[in-house]
Amino acid sequence: MCFFASFYSFTQDASTYLSLTVSDSLRENANAIVRYETIDVEVLSIEEIKVKTKRVTTVLNKYGDRHINAGQYYDDNTKIEEISAFVYDEFGNNIKKYKQRDFKDVSAVNEISIYTDDRIKYLEYTPLKYPYTLEYYSEVIFRNTAFFPKWQPIDGYYLSVEHSEFKIKNTSGIELKTKELNFEDYSIEKLDEYHYIASNIGGIKHESYAPLLSDIVPSLKVALVNFNMLGVPGVNNNWSDFGKWIYDGLISGTTDIPEETINEVKLLTDGVEDDIERAKLVYEYMQNKTRYISIQIGIGGWKPMMARDVDELGYSDCKGLTNYTKSLLEAVGVKSYYTLVYGGRTIKDIDKDFSVTQGNHAILCVPTPEENIFLECTSQSSPFGLIAGFTDDRDVLLVKPEGGEIVHTKIYDADDSMQKTEANVLLSEDGGFSAIVTIETTGYQYKLHEGLQNEALRDQELHYKEYWDNINDLTIDDIKLINDKEEIVYTEKVSLTSSNYASKSGSRLIFEPNMFTRSTNIPTRYKNRRLDFKIDRSFKDTDELVITIPEEYGIEAMTASKSIESKFGNYNFKVEKIDGNKIKYTRTYVLLKGDYNKEDYKEFRSFRKQIARLDKNKIVLIKQ
Amino acid sequence: MNKQFFVLLTLLTLISQNLISQNFKFGKVSKEEIEEKYHPLDSSTNAAILYKSENVTFNYTQSEGFSQVKEVSVRIKIYNKEGLNWATEKVYLYKSKSGNDEKIKGIKGYTYNLVKGKINKSKLKSDGIFTEQSSEIFDLTSFTLPNANEGSVIEYQYMVKSPFLQIDDINLQYTIPLNKIDVSVATPQFYKYNRRFNSKAFFTPNISESKKNRKASITQRGESSVSLLNTGGGQVGSGSSIVNREFEYNDNVISISELNIPSLKAESFGGNLNNYRAKLSLELEARLAREGYVEKSFASTWEGVSKTIYESEKFGGQLRKSSFYKEELESHLNGVEDVFQKVFLTEALVKSRVKWNGNYGKYSENGIRTAYQDGAGNVADINLLLVSMLKSQGINASPVLISTRNNGVPLFPTRKGFNYVICLVEHDGKILLMDATEPYSINNVLPERVINWQGRVITEDGQSRWIDVSPDIKSKKTTMLNVQIQDDFVVKGKVRESYTSNLALDYRKRYTNLSSEDHIKLIENNKGNIEVSELNFENAKDLIKPVKVTYNYLLEDGVDEIADKLYFSPLLFMTKRENPFKLEDRIYPIDFRTTTQNSTIVNILLPEGYSVESLPESSAMDFGEGNVKFSYIMKENGKYLSLKVNFEINNPIIAAEDYKNFKAFYSKVLEKNAEQIVLVKAQP
Repeated sequence: MCFFASFYSFTQDASTYLSLTVSDSLRENANAIVRYETIDVEVLSIEEIKVKTKRVTTVLNKYGDRHINAGQYYDDNTKIEEISAFVYDEFGNNIKKYKQRDFKDVSAVNEISIYTDDRIKYLEYTPLKYPYTLEYYSEVIFRNTAFFPKWQPIDGYYLSVEHSEFKIKNTSGIELKTKELNFEDYSIEKLDEYHYIASNIGGIKHESYAPLLSDIVPSLKVALVNFNMLGVPGVNNNWSDFGKWIYDGLISGTTDIPEETINEVKLLTDGVEDDIERAKLVYEYMQNKTRYISIQIGIGGWKPMMARDVDELGYSDCKGLTNYTKSLLEAVGVKSYYTLVYGGRTIKDIDKDFSVTQGNHAILCVPTPEENIFLECTSQSSPFGLIAGFTDDRDVLLVKPEGGEIVHTKIYDADDSMQKTEANVLLSEDGGFSAIVTIETTGYQYKLHEGLQNEALRDQELHYKEYWDNINDLTIDDIKLINDKEEIVYTEKVSLTSSNYASKSGSRLIFEPNMFTRSTNIPTRYKNRRLDFKIDRSFKDTDELVITIPEEYGIEAMTASKSIESKFGNYNFKVEKIDGNKIKYTRTYVLLKGDYNKEDYKEFRSFRKQIARLDKNKIVLIKQ
Repeated sequence: MNKQFFVLLTLLTLISQNLISQNFKFGKVSKEEIEEKYHPLDSSTNAAILYKSENVTFNYTQSEGFSQVKEVSVRIKIYNKEGLNWATEKVYLYKSKSGNDEKIKGIKGYTYNLVKGKINKSKLKSDGIFTEQSSEIFDLTSFTLPNANEGSVIEYQYMVKSPFLQIDDINLQYTIPLNKIDVSVATPQFYKYNRRFNSKAFFTPNISESKKNRKASITQRGESSVSLLNTGGGQVGSGSSIVNREFEYNDNVISISELNIPSLKAESFGGNLNNYRAKLSLELEARLAREGYVEKSFASTWEGVSKTIYESEKFGGQLRKSSFYKEELESHLNGVEDVFQKVFLTEALVKSRVKWNGNYGKYSENGIRTAYQDGAGNVADINLLLVSMLKSQGINASPVLISTRNNGVPLFPTRKGFNYVICLVEHDGKILLMDATEPYSINNVLPERVINWQGRVITEDGQSRWIDVSPDIKSKKTTMLNVQIQDDFVVKGKVRESYTSNLALDYRKRYTNLSSEDHIKLIENNKGNIEVSELNFENAKDLIKPVKVTYNYLLEDGVDEIADKLYFSPLLFMTKRENPFKLEDRIYPIDFRTTTQNSTIVNILLPEGYSVESLPESSAMDFGEGNVKFSYIMKENGKYLSLKVNFEINNPIIAAEDYKNFKAFYSKVLEKNAEQIVLVKAQP
């Protein structure tokens, strides 16, 4: 144990390594407990930051293994001076030691990227027994001061924190700026300007529809007002400064494209007056000429590839493709801005109040007097301006020559994300049916359906059999897919038959008239909902079915209509008998995006429960 | 005469056109290939390999001996944007302990596009080639072709030089169609390679064999003892005694040339897709002397394969080590006499002392001593430790070589045919198979990965024999479902479930580490509007007893009330509604892994004021002479209804040709299970 005494002197005692002493309140809702963590950051100069991390974690079960955080990413500009780990059994006996050479050292390349110069050193530890306690220690020098370590003591669900300490020593004379988030509801002590301690914070259980964890737990963001990203110095008082630095240091100088290409796009847009139409033509030109490939190189992974190279090679990553498209647009006189964003299905904002390196993706903004149009340049098939599902409804950073600016991307309302299903159904006496169904989708729902066109016929058929999993013995007879990229409407026309849909019971046929769009999922039940919740996107589904029932049958029983109104949206259906032996079924379901209080969750479940029930509403036919 | 000439000419043109469009020489991409919009045989594919050639040869140098050279050349057609990922290739280069690693050379690549009706060629340059040190085991070279677009044809070729005698598997099938493939493997006469094809693949390629003369030169000292002496004495001017000598030998050449191989497609309950890939595997079997006799054997018969494996220090060598655990084991078994009790305790000791690091292997990774001290090891470390411990107690224990599910079933003897090892104990006429890597596995209840094909038992002297590793006990799930329909048509009741053997293993693996709350959430999942409470999970850790689970439920959407009648399916949430077999046809068999029996007993208390209008009829069905059995027995008994449903799988493999019938059978089972009871309100 005297082994570590040389590293530090702090108020940590031997019980830190004892799993047995963890209080029950910290064990509850936890797979692991951070027993003692200290992060000491030292700003050495505008070019160097040194971070010493010590983390003692008690792991209670196999799901807690991931919280030991015993690993460090690095590249040519990150120097790992020291990295080690020690393992203790539940009684606090040291059972293992790991030195730097015992850590695995691998390339941080993943499935999608074909090259990265990032590497990772990590500890591969197979626990013998739970609980165990692991102490990790590292000293790392970062030579890219555009990034500054962030302190977020609760860095995952089911993780408790007994003691986590964050300290900055700044003798460089460079001004620091900080932002505290969610400190109010947690026990966090501020010892002096840059010295914080979080203690005894219980684990947080994951609940469905929860907001982003980083939005609800305490964190401290820090940035240097003067920084240096591998030889490109910058000033960062606000987004305007920081954006200007990105423009001057990383973008300008990469935008040249060959004369030939300039002439080509000029010719392409010749005679087209409208700027948006010109942009559309150029966007399609880019889509046909290039493809997306992930290559993480260039200044800290932040500098786009030269537009000239993209032009020659026909591939690049998001930064290179965005920058290239920007150059093409410039060539035809259309203004556009390189834009940084957090891309993903989950909605995550660039923090508008705190300028620092943020985002994981680049898109292009074409400003028009009415709105900002955003272009996803990594997709070879996406319609012009469609960003639903990946970069919609969030704060992003426009990198303008005069400085950065935060704007919000397009929000897709319920009417923008529609699914319209229409069908003609012929029900037969043996319980089977044949039908022709048309599904039209827009916005986010377009994104959910559009991928189907790339599947093989066999897999398209499988898709429909799963999409309509309420119908057994389904045969897909014909599929027609129409992708209207101009209007951004996706149309599917499907002919199908089933030999077994309505159940027979003596002389009766019982069936559910809502055949093609069912909302059967009920949000998970929690005895005590602890977190507020969030519905990310709105949508609207409409269904209109005309069902022809078999000749000799009449309706014995049915529910004519039902409707539900709630703050989360509305739902209604109607069943009408129309001429002769035809039944018309109509259904509308609207779900509204929003941030809701945890107290409302019960009501939300009840809304969805009623829909699930009404979606299975039955009609009973009887033989005349 | 004229006419005939014309016909002849047309014929010739046809033939030559055919030849042009079939030119697979590197660089000879035709306009037709770039213009092609869809694959003629598979219109929905995103890309196709128009041509692939893979040639393996061995060259001799005096300093390195034989080294392997693999030349790969590929032409790919990209039909649409989804096919663009085929424009990137990754090549893994393995490292050797001596530092003589595999190297890639001569990467060449071109993308062909049509620009204004003319073929435009873009060359792969060094900025499109990336090399990185991935891990201690291999480096990765990737390259991506420039200007690849919808419609492009790309071509690339490269060469890998390898110090290893082992030849990588040669794939003959991909997830996109393969139009033509030429493979040639030339191996020097001094090495004998076993070859095998995947028996589960839908085709076996034709191969042709031939011999080829080769020459190699070596520098030798002169043959006469005089010159030897001269050289040895370091005499000046005796250069003539250094002889540059050529020697001749034969290469054994095997070639494969195949056309139109369809793409590999996944099917549900099919297992690992790779199991069905058509491929050629070659294994070094023996080193031969010049005269042809075996100088050193690496493998041959299963007997030989087993013996070779056994003789390795990393296998049999491990079994002889015992001093390091002796003390702990003896104190652990102190006072225990019964052999079965000893086996049980020893297995428990191994499980608690050494955890599986997730790696497979028939050979020990760390050595059983290190594994024991570190508390972690691969499959062989753990199970060979178990065998060694049992043997040290005089118990008749032996290692059993296994080919796991992912490894497939080998066609004929090869060491690659085994990739895993478990432990066998024979005592008193009883057979116990054990795998101590799996915490919830007990005697003869082995994890799924092991249940595949058969095992090879190796006894003390290196003798070996086959043993069946598929469980002889049927796994059972028994469910009791009590149903009470309340006045508001909400259903209330209790569920009792018990699981045995492999079904118990699966259940324990899934639920043992979960909190009761999470366990309830998973039970509630996909069961509609249900609330589960008072969950009780017994024998989670007492592996000898069956898993017992009980809970109460409230189900809000179980019963439909329509016009004074109640409609409900008696199995409520206990039956699947959806047929998992959705494909119209299958190429590969369905594999249910183990024999199982799933029986459910439902007891329904009729609600006050209602009587039965109609009940589903009892029935029984049978598939393939009892391979799969189903029965449904409904009874009315005063205020109670009782239903007994039984579904038994007596043979876990359903052949692909029986698929359609089985699908129909399964659909009938689901239909029966979904049938509804109709209750009617009694007239007042």
